[in-house]
Amino acid sequence: MKSVIPREVESLWTLFTAPTIWAVHFIGCYATVAIYCAKAASLDFGFDTVRLLLAGFTVFALAVIVLSAWLAWRQWGFGVHDPPHDEPTRKGRTLFQGYATLLLSGLSFVAVVYAAIPLILIAECQR
Amino acid sequence: MAELGNFSPEERVAQEERLRRVWKTPGGWRYWTSVNNSEIGLWYGVTAFAFMLFAGLLGLLMRAQLAVPNNDLISADLFNQAFTLHGTVMMFLFAVPIFEAIAIFLLPSMLGARELPFPRLSAFGYWSFLLGGIFVCGSIFFNAAPNAGWFMYPPLATDKEYAGIGADIWLLGLSFIEVASIAAAVEIIVGIMKCRAPGMRINMMPMFAWYLLIVAGMILFAFPPLIAGDILFEMERMFDWPFFDVSRGGDPLLWQHLFWIFGHPEVYIIFLPAIALMAMIVPTFSQRPIVGYSWIVLAAVGTGFLSFGLWVHHMFTTGLPQISLAFFSAASEAVAIPTGVQIFVFIATMLAGRVIFSVPMLFGAGGLAIFTIGGLTGVMVALVPFDWQAHDTYFIVAHLHYVIIGGMFFPIVAGIYYYFPFVTGKKLSDAWGKVAFWLMFVGFNVGFFPMHFSGLRGMPRRVFTYPEEFGWDLFNMISTIGAFVFAAGVMTFVIDIFRPKPKPVERNLNPWNAGTLEWTNDPDESWGMRSVPIITSRYPLWEQPNLQADIEAGRYYLPDAKSGQRETLVTSVLDAEPIQCLRVGGVSLVPMVSALALGGVFIALTFHWWIPTLICAVITFISIMVWLWTGTAQIPEAEEVDVGLGQKLPVYVSGPASVGWWAMFITMVGDGTAFASLIFGYFFYWTVHDDFTSGAAGPGVIWPIAALVLFVVAWLLTIAARELNEKGPAGCRIALVAGMLVTIAACLAGLAGPFFHGMDPTSNVYPATVWIIAIWTVVHGAVGVIMQAYCLVGSLTGRVTVAYDQDIRNVTLYWHFVAFTAVITFAVLGLFPMVNV
Amino acid sequence: MTDGWVAGLLQSRRSQRHLSRLCPGFIALLVLPLTSCSGTHSALDPAGPEAANVAQLFFVMLAGGVVIWVGLVAALIYSARKKREHSEESAGRVILWGGAVIPTIILCALLSYGMWLMPAIRPWVPDDQQVRRIEVTGEQFWWRVRYLDEAGETMFETANEVRIPVGEPAHFSLKAADVIHSFWVPSLGGKMDMIPGRTNPLTLTADREGTYRGVCAEFCGESHALMAFTVRAVAPDEHEAWLAERRVSGSQDAEGLAIFLNNGCGACHAISGTPANGRIGPDLTAFGERTTLAAATLRHTAEDIARFVAYPGVIKPGVKMPHFGMLPEDDIKTIAAFLKELK
Repeated sequence: MKSVIPREVESLWTLFTAPTIWAVHFIGCYATVAIYCAKAASLDFGFDTVRLLLAGFTVFALAVIVLSAWLAWRQWGFGVHDPPHDEPTRKGRTLFQGYATLLLSGLSFVAVVYAAIPLILIAECQR
Repeated sequence: MAELGNFSPEERVAQEERLRRVWKTPGGWRYWTSVNNSEIGLWYGVTAFAFMLFAGLLGLLMRAQLAVPNNDLISADLFNQAFTLHGTVMMFLFAVPIFEAIAIFLLPSMLGARELPFPRLSAFGYWSFLLGGIFVCGSIFFNAAPNAGWFMYPPLATDKEYAGIGADIWLLGLSFIEVASIAAAVEIIVGIMKCRAPGMRINMMPMFAWYLLIVAGMILFAFPPLIAGDILFEMERMFDWPFFDVSRGGDPLLWQHLFWIFGHPEVYIIFLPAIALMAMIVPTFSQRPIVGYSWIVLAAVGTGFLSFGLWVHHMFTTGLPQISLAFFSAASEAVAIPTGVQIFVFIATMLAGRVIFSVPMLFGAGGLAIFTIGGLTGVMVALVPFDWQAHDTYFIVAHLHYVIIGGMFFPIVAGIYYYFPFVTGKKLSDAWGKVAFWLMFVGFNVGFFPMHFSGLRGMPRRVFTYPEEFGWDLFNMISTIGAFVFAAGVMTFVIDIFRPKPKPVERNLNPWNAGTLEWTNDPDESWGMRSVPIITSRYPLWEQPNLQADIEAGRYYLPDAKSGQRETLVTSVLDAEPIQCLRVGGVSLVPMVSALALGGVFIALTFHWWIPTLICAVITFISIMVWLWTGTAQIPEAEEVDVGLGQKLPVYVSGPASVGWWAMFITMVGDGTAFASLIFGYFFYWTVHDDFTSGAAGPGVIWPIAALVLFVVAWLLTIAARELNEKGPAGCRIALVAGMLVTIAACLAGLAGPFFHGMDPTSNVYPATVWIIAIWTVVHGAVGVIMQAYCLVGSLTGRVTVAYDQDIRNVTLYWHFVAFTAVITFAVLGLFPMVNV
Repeated sequence: MTDGWVAGLLQSRRSQRHLSRLCPGFIALLVLPLTSCSGTHSALDPAGPEAANVAQLFFVMLAGGVVIWVGLVAALIYSARKKREHSEESAGRVILWGGAVIPTIILCALLSYGMWLMPAIRPWVPDDQQVRRIEVTGEQFWWRVRYLDEAGETMFETANEVRIPVGEPAHFSLKAADVIHSFWVPSLGGKMDMIPGRTNPLTLTADREGTYRGVCAEFCGESHALMAFTVRAVAPDEHEAWLAERRVSGSQDAEGLAIFLNNGCGACHAISGTPANGRIGPDLTAFGERTTLAAATLRHTAEDIARFVAYPGVIKPGVKMPHFGMLPEDDIKTIAAFLKELK
């Protein structure tokens, strides 16, 4: 893994990895249930199948977020350096990116967990 | 680090003379042709504020009508126009533009730039906004204002008998303003990414810039769905294409989706910049750097993303499956976390600092106290069962005003008190400020708190009157009194702004002892930064000794204007290393002319005046061509120029290094979002119907696939033109001509499918959807042809050469998006009906 | 739960005083639901399980919200006025715990509560389940009410007033004829939109007898403010008797009916058992037993009926019914008296 993904990614985009995964998970869940509930009559599997499928998707999304968090943590030097990361150096900038990415991974993790709660509590396409 | 410059006093005077001449704001009527960010920002702000006062008066009119039950002060119809316009104006003509105003005014100085990269685009945006705003507001004086509520739900708003010309004014007037907002977003993103002072790495950016970067990104994804919705809506009103007409397969819920995909991020689009102002104010008055810089970035980015997962919480009562509602409920609760983080960042910064309590802090803290109540009620209404009761009642009216006035209006007022010396060199009065604050704070709470109760006691929103027997009368009377007290506070504030103030005896550019770069600017000079400094701190004025003096002595970059053109530095995205000396557009009539002509197109369309529409469209086209030809991608007199500190930088760059390439990329991302919204519509109709074609003929397979292939060929030819240009003009010209011909064929093939299958767009929503998506793509193809022709003419006239190929590189970038659009379009239109079961 | 000062404020004794003034013998109202009164209209005065659950949810959130708000404002004031600066580390911990960790936990709990409540208060009634439904159609600016039998056939039609049995779930099918409306009876439960082209289900239960007022909650045009209705919850056997009685057409008074028919009222309004069979406007069968007029906008008195017949557009701007003010006053009065007594 270490050799595959460089320690310090020279891009602003890594910051958005975890929230993007949240977005994909969110849209995936919404689109799946919306289409399933609209077309349930012509489909031959039950809503519980959909819930299981989305539960699997949730675990996958959480795993990717954890991976992104780990990479960010590594870029942040595993927390050896304390914030505020305002040194005028390339090092300071990459530490800041790592720390901010780690925080965003945390938020995205929570948001994905929140989005999974309905899968537990709501069992039908009821309105 | 490079050696700082050293100039003798005579040299400095000469430099200042040249700078002053280059950046001079013209006098007389030509003042209005100015494009300088300080002028445009000021006009933008004053205009938006004036619209706010107008909408506020409409609010007072409504409160007067509702003071007592069964009141007949104004008619039902006038009341309905008033609340529609109140919401519309506050959201579209005040909340979004005021932040654009502040951004255009402040960003260059904060980032250490002379100008934003596209000053003429800012001017264009302003004139569009002014014209569109007057058009929309003026309608009420002709009893022709929109009257279906600011979210314009069809079928009420598509009913021509009920919603007459007002609905068209809303749709076209606001579409026009939305275009201006997207232009501002492009300007802001490119400005923040590319125009920061050297050394201002992304971990050094002022908080305001971080927020604005996120907000501008949100605009790119939020506004286009509304524009797509507006197009569908206006096609229904103008040509009877039945997108929302259930009798012909349409569905009013599609509008609700598209509107709220825009509408909810919109709330954060107006809230985040206001919080950004707070993030500038709080550190200054705590006299220390912000605590939790990274947390703020988390909050801004997190809110930006999550805010796109909330839209259905405006649709909790539309009868969607509970499981769908629940996902949006979850995201709506999650978004409270970054919002809470923001508030705690401010508290933490105050805890760790020595707080000086002043008027900006008073408004900021008061706003936070109010906003928190709105946030807490927001957490409540995000729960579906509670929203089933609270939705569309006065509880929501209370909630949204607590959020917007506490989260946006109070911080804006705080920001105006804070930045007034930056704009004018004079401070506003503390005494007046305190009076204004307490009137506003008390008036607001007296006015809006009782609405929570009247709402839960059953009072729906948007009622022009109410019966007396349910105990709503007392609450409403209190609300009305509070609203007038609040208005008195706003008036106090306005008087404080306009009353004559003495010039301060001592020149003090930084009266609050702030730490950020903008406070080095002299409001009496229009050049912005005297020289562009090297930044090594988040709070350079606190931590970089002698910075102010060195900037004013011209010891940093660009201390001179020898070329006689307006110049600013372009730096790299992450580490802000200088890479280009960018020449930006100066004073010009072209932005105003093209904005007014484009406005003419929209206004004439409203009244179905086809000839004036055409004339205005031609003027718009010509003026934009003149603008591009004379104002962009100019071949410079030398490859590189001296930017000071012994450094030479190129003037002309192309491809991803250039700001124009970025602007094209960002614009096309927004454009792609609008396209995605149309495709969403296609599949939305598929989900709501058992047979979404309703038995109507489709466009077939042959023609769409032919169009797809031709578009791909045209795209490859455009890429070939770019590649061949590196070897010389001949091959490039041949590829461009071939590309144009193939594109024209592709466009015709695209339209041939629905045309030859006799698809009548007024008969059913399916043919209408196919036509609109095909037309969207074909219009993009047509614009692509114009761009290819522009490059061809450029090549023939020596404007596009082997070395200077900005135009053709940007056109190729555009074509990447066209190819993507065309492939999706024709694959969906041609193939999806076959897999549909 | 609804005790204490909060409830006192929210439930406004004042309004109850109003009610008791309007209806002499307020207590009698509970016993005699037929007295003319507009009924209760508040989400915080629940008369059914859905509204009660939501009211409880609200009071829980209100209590929590008050604590959080007071804590936050106290923190704001403290941080502005404290004597010495705190260290950056301790301030950072304030962000971590106060801004992130604690809200995450509270919101997670609240979200689970809310989501557990959703299916609990609005359980699944499949569309093909054989139940008696009440079909309510929103029209500008009134409510068409049809009682359907188990097979979905219309038993009879009425308008602007719904009767349901106490203690039994009433299944509504909500539709819209022209624009979007929203069906809301605050004392019984949350609202549900009525959207053209769609049929939205809603199940409400009243657990005590009474008259409950409902309104249109989605802006629907000029007189959106004047589009209300009443729900009367009666004992189940009384309800059955009423359904049976309403299914039989009655015979009507001759004089008033003649004027009613001669002036073309029957083109838009239906009165069962007479030649009046219009379907455009509200069905007026048994109009005399209603308690309000013009979608709960006016009182059910002969004077108000006459006023409305003469100038409906003055009372309800944008209404589709034309003015009949050109008729002789006596004719209008006769029509009013006829309608007032229509059983």
